[in-house]
This record gives sequence, structure tokens and C-alpha cells, in this order.
Amino acid sequence: MRGMTAILKRNLINFARNKTQLIFSIVMPLFMLFVFSFVMKPTTADISQPINYLISGIIIMSVFQSSLSNSTNILEDISMGFMKEIIVSPIERWKISIGQVLSSTIIAVTQGLLIIIIALFMGLKLDAPQFIQMIAVMGLVGITFSSMGLFLATVAKKSTTFQVMITAFTLPLTFLSGAYIPTTIMPKILRPLVYINPLTYTTSIFRYIALKMNDLSTAELIKEGVSFDIHGFIVGPFTGILIIIIMGLIFFSLCVYKFNKADFSDVKVFNPER
Amino acid sequence: MANIIEVKNFTKQFGEFKAVDNISFEVEEGSIFAFLGPNGAGKSTTINTLCTIIDKTDGTLTINGNEVSKEKGKVRRDIGIVFQDSTLDNKLTVEENLKFHCEFYNVPKEDIQNRISFVLNLVDLEAWRKAPINSLSGGMKRRVEIARGLVHYPKVLFLDEPTTGLDPQTRANIWEYIYKLQKERNITIFLTTHYMDEAEICDKVAIMDHGKIVAFDTPNNLKKEHTGLVTKIGVSKVYDFVEYLKMNHIKYSQEETMFTLYSNNLKKIIDVTSNFKDIITDLETTKGTLNDVFLAITGKEIRA
Repeated sequence: MRGMTAILKRNLINFARNKTQLIFSIVMPLFMLFVFSFVMKPTTADISQPINYLISGIIIMSVFQSSLSNSTNILEDISMGFMKEIIVSPIERWKISIGQVLSSTIIAVTQGLLIIIIALFMGLKLDAPQFIQMIAVMGLVGITFSSMGLFLATVAKKSTTFQVMITAFTLPLTFLSGAYIPTTIMPKILRPLVYINPLTYTTSIFRYIALKMNDLSTAELIKEGVSFDIHGFIVGPFTGILIIIIMGLIFFSLCVYKFNKADFSDVKVFNPER
Repeated sequence: MANIIEVKNFTKQFGEFKAVDNISFEVEEGSIFAFLGPNGAGKSTTINTLCTIIDKTDGTLTINGNEVSKEKGKVRRDIGIVFQDSTLDNKLTVEENLKFHCEFYNVPKEDIQNRISFVLNLVDLEAWRKAPINSLSGGMKRRVEIARGLVHYPKVLFLDEPTTGLDPQTRANIWEYIYKLQKERNITIFLTTHYMDEAEICDKVAIMDHGKIVAFDTPNNLKKEHTGLVTKIGVSKVYDFVEYLKMNHIKYSQEETMFTLYSNNLKKIIDVTSNFKDIITDLETTKGTLNDVFLAITGKEIRA
């Protein structure tokens, strides 16, 4: 337990000390917020609260992107040599992965919170239960995609490879999720991709909470882009939670498994004589 | 004294290549043990296996009675490691690095502050306690690593080339710390080094080459066995001296007026000096160094 919390604490300290990274991780979503709210105005005519609609999408996207890319720090640790210090210590590997995933989740959720605070000034309205539900969804999204990120990091092994992988995942997933561009205006040909994208559902449940849509009918939910009519099969917003949890479990076990087996010895600092 | 490290028939293969080929050795508790060998001899592979980083192919390795590949947790608690390259967290301070290390090794919370002070005093870094690692020099970082390797009070401290790349002064200091430590805490020290003069002060030396241990003894015994008496003589008249050496079949090498004689026959050497006492300008006899032993055994110049 102590080893795990120590890893968690240490990651958070390192993140908090890196002020530039912190600032830029908030600048990017804000930039998206401004650009898309202007560009998308005419296309979101069907949607009743276009600004809030975008804000909620952007908040959950920044949580997603942050948690996915936070595992860069583990690759930095490998090249800095610190990873060696950790893996020769008596802490079990699975505890190392949990510490890593939790710290990444906390960082991602904190970033989401900062954007929520800024969004409150831009016209986002929230009450206490909504806020709590949003934090819960952000936490789930954070755990799921931090696990995925750690999994990818152990596959990539180099931070340059990892960056390329993250970009390759992030771009299509975010643009086909309805976070920035409403799924309702997407061409029919892209729909199947939207439906198989897990982020579509994380976005929809988050939006459902943020925009307080609990008294809307199914037809209205479909029109707002938070429920989906896939050839007569209705996927409601709560299916989203189920999908995140299932994905989270899969990726979490995958990353623990992978991290347990990962042989970091072919990475530069381990340097076994051959 | 009891053996703290026991290695029997240890083999490590990378694919077809045998990095370590069926070696066995023991290290006594509380001693300083040096592992020498040219680059690629298999030293780091052996250390990495003992430190639970890589798995053996064959054989048994025990530290403090625990089989290394089976009881990794116990072994990890008993050892401290200072690697060849830095493994500090550059973004944290000296104190934070040590504190997290204590957390990782489950050091009792109430002991942490005292232990940090103890090890920092040992390496003269108490004044730098709050300094970020980034701001330290190379030698200071190495000292922090040594302090960190000790703060959980290990039974064995592994030092993989602890002084490579450091200036002579810092090297001397680090050796002083290592000595102090071994005396104060009776820690077993297992080190690899490229510097032969450093190996001289060890209790036992193992020389490794091509994955095998080719010599294993105390530095003095190794020198006795593998090198002889070396006498350097400076003379003012070269001609007669050369004639005399040739006549008496004494092996020598010559550099202008300086001669190096290779003969273990002490009487012969004394005869030389008494016969030429009027023309001898310089005289030095040595026993040969570990460097000579190393070269005699491996036949390669060691690279730093």
C-alpha cells in the first residue's frame, strides 16, 4: 500500500511542478472551445443549448486526452533511469501499475475540473448532484483511458513511438465521437464508425448529465445526439457507463498483465552486456 | 564467517550467446568483493541477475539464504543497488528521492528522518538536503545514489562501477564513504570497477572473461601468483650494464638510460645493484599491480 501511494504522490508532485505542461494542457481545450463554438454555430441549429453542448463535449475530451497521454511520464522514467529504481524495489508490479493509473486519473480529472470552472464563467450551469455525477463519469473515463495509455506505453516503449500512437488514436476517436462535431450532422457513411467508437457513448452520458436531459423523451434524446437509433436498436446514454466500465476492466487487466511481463531490460538504461 | 552470497553453476544465455557460462563463487558477509573484467565479460549480467532484474538460465543464486529468482521480494529488501547510470528522479530534491525510496522499501515512518540524516552525513551532503537533483554535480549525484542505496539498511550493497567518469578527488572521497560504511554497518559490498587501484583494497577479487571466472583470490595472492618482482634501474653508463644483463640472462626492457628488469631472483638483483653501485642513478622495485595481473590473465588492456 505504501509503495503504491508513494508512486502516486511522486507522480502528482512531478506533474504539479511542471507548470508549463499544466498551463498548456488547459490552453488546448480552451482554444478548441472558442474555435468550435464559432465555427459550429450554424451547424448546431438543431441543438437547443449549443454552447453548453460543446463545452461538455470538450471537458470530457480533455479528460480523455489527458489520461491517455499521461503515461508518457513512465517512458520518461525509463529514459531517466528512475524506472530501474522502482522495479528493483520490493513493490509488486501490479501495485506500480495501479499507482500509475490512479495518478494519471487524478491529473486528468483535475484538468477537467479546471475547465469546468472556466466553463462556468462562459455560461455552463450546474447544480450539486450534476457536478458529483460529472466527477464520477470523469473518474471512470480517467481510469479507463489511463489504463489504455499505460498499456500503449508498455507496447511503445519509446516516448516518440508513444506520441505517434496517441495522436493516431486521439484524432479519429475524438472527431468521430460527437464531442466537437455533433453526430447528428455527420454524413451517413461515417455513422457506423461513430457507433463503434466508445468515446461516442462517454460523450453522450457526460452530456446527458451536464445538460440535464433526464426529462427528455427518447426521440428528443436522439435529436440532441445523446441517444442513438442504430437500425431500430436504441442505445441510451446510460449504456455509456456500462461501456466505459467494461472497457475499463479490459484495459486495466491488460495493462497490469502487460506491465507485469514487460521486460524493460532492452531499454537503453538497462544495458545488459551482450 | 558465513557466506551472504552463494552462486553455483550460474549460466545466462541470450539466445545462442552465453553471456555467463557456468560460474560459481561465494561472498563472505561483511567483506568487500570486486568483480573485474573487460567490457562484455558478463559482469553486469551477473549483477543484474543477482539484483533480480533479469532471470537466470540455469544454476542457483542465493542472497542471505533466499533464492534470487524465487523470492524476489525478500532479496530486493536485503539489497541496495547503485547502478552505472543515474537512476535518481531529477525533478525531485535530494530529500524527496530518499524519502520515496524509504516508502518503497517500507522503512518505518518514524525512522525516515533520522535515517536520511544518517546517510546524508555519511556522504557529506546534509547541507544539500533540500536541493533539487538537477542542481547537483555528477559526483554529488553519485553520492546521493550511494546514500539512497543505503537508507533502507541493506545487507548487501551492489555498486556497478560506482566511480566511472568521476575525477580522482571525488573517487577517493567515494571510496572513503564506502570504507566507512563497511566498518560502521558491517555491510557486504559487491562492486565492479574498471580501476585496478580500487580493486586493490578489496578483500576478494574475481576476474571474469568471456563469461567465465578466470581468477578468484585476494589481491595479494593474485599478485604473487601472476606477477613477479619488477625492478627499475636508471644508469649513467649504458654499455657495460647491458653487457652484464645479457651475460647473466636477466630479462629486461630499455628506455634510453632507464631499464626495467624482470626477475624473481632477489639475489641476482642485489648483485646487479652492488656491481654497478657507482653508475646507478635511480632504483625502484615493485611487486606488480593488479593491472599487471589483469593483463597477464585476460591479455587485454582494460578500458575505462
